[in-house]
Amino acid sequence: MAKTLMIVDDSATMRKIIMRTVRMSGLEFDSTEEAGNGAEALEKLKAGPVDIVLCDINMPEMSGTEMVKQARQLPNCKETKIIMVSTESSQDLINSVMADGANGYITKPFTPEKFQEKLSPFMS
Amino acid sequence: MIEQKTYHETVLEAAKEVFETMIFMEIEPSQETPFFQDADLLMGSITFKGDLEGCMVISMTWPCARIIARNMLALEPEADITDEETCDAIGEVSNMVMGSIKSRLQDTYSSIEVSIPSVITGKNLTGPNIEGAERICVPVSIDEDQSAVFSLLYRMRKG
Repeated sequence: MAKTLMIVDDSATMRKIIMRTVRMSGLEFDSTEEAGNGAEALEKLKAGPVDIVLCDINMPEMSGTEMVKQARQLPNCKETKIIMVSTESSQDLINSVMADGANGYITKPFTPEKFQEKLSPFMS
Repeated sequence: MIEQKTYHETVLEAAKEVFETMIFMEIEPSQETPFFQDADLLMGSITFKGDLEGCMVISMTWPCARIIARNMLALEPEADITDEETCDAIGEVSNMVMGSIKSRLQDTYSSIEVSIPSVITGKNLTGPNIEGAERICVPVSIDEDQSAVFSLLYRMRKG
């Protein structure tokens, strides 16, 4: 089944690195799109559902944690899997964002194997 | 209180992890601080506050920064890369190294909050000055023929 992916990060370089790492992990997506912050991601999610979102936390304008909270209020995001990708690694923050509706957490720096491990359960 | 030697090791371990995992380059500690006087430099910095507050800084020349950015983006050695892409890449390196430092310190300092990274460019950049802060410098060689300096300024939260 075709899957769609959105990468949300304020760094264009990091979006490219995440895309490359997803490809290296062997996971294939039918289409991918990008957003530079949480607000831009929400606008794109309102326009159409996405299967998997990889989302940074520390971003200007709207953080990833706020994006998760608001995305869970959107009718067409109920089934969207949101995986946070961040340098933040405190267990309190991870617990908090998972409670807000995130489905997984990957810390930077990351490897293709980590993406494979965290994303493949949502690919079937 | 963590000793200066331990901070030095923490910065070096964090930088090694990021360079080996995300940039595919090897770094080694260098005995000599590179001579950057009058060179055009990039300085990536990221501040932090909480139980421990301060700033982590990476300084390097433009040629070194472009090599790092091309490696991060999996570009050929001679591929065109813009100044904006190079600065963005060095900002992300700062972000990831500081994230790794924070992760290594969180058993001792659990409430460190990290800012969004910034990058400045120019000659003879001196970096931030924080009153009462200790400063450690970690000069490194990158893939043997490039060099950079990681600096950590830190002080305990007042009160």
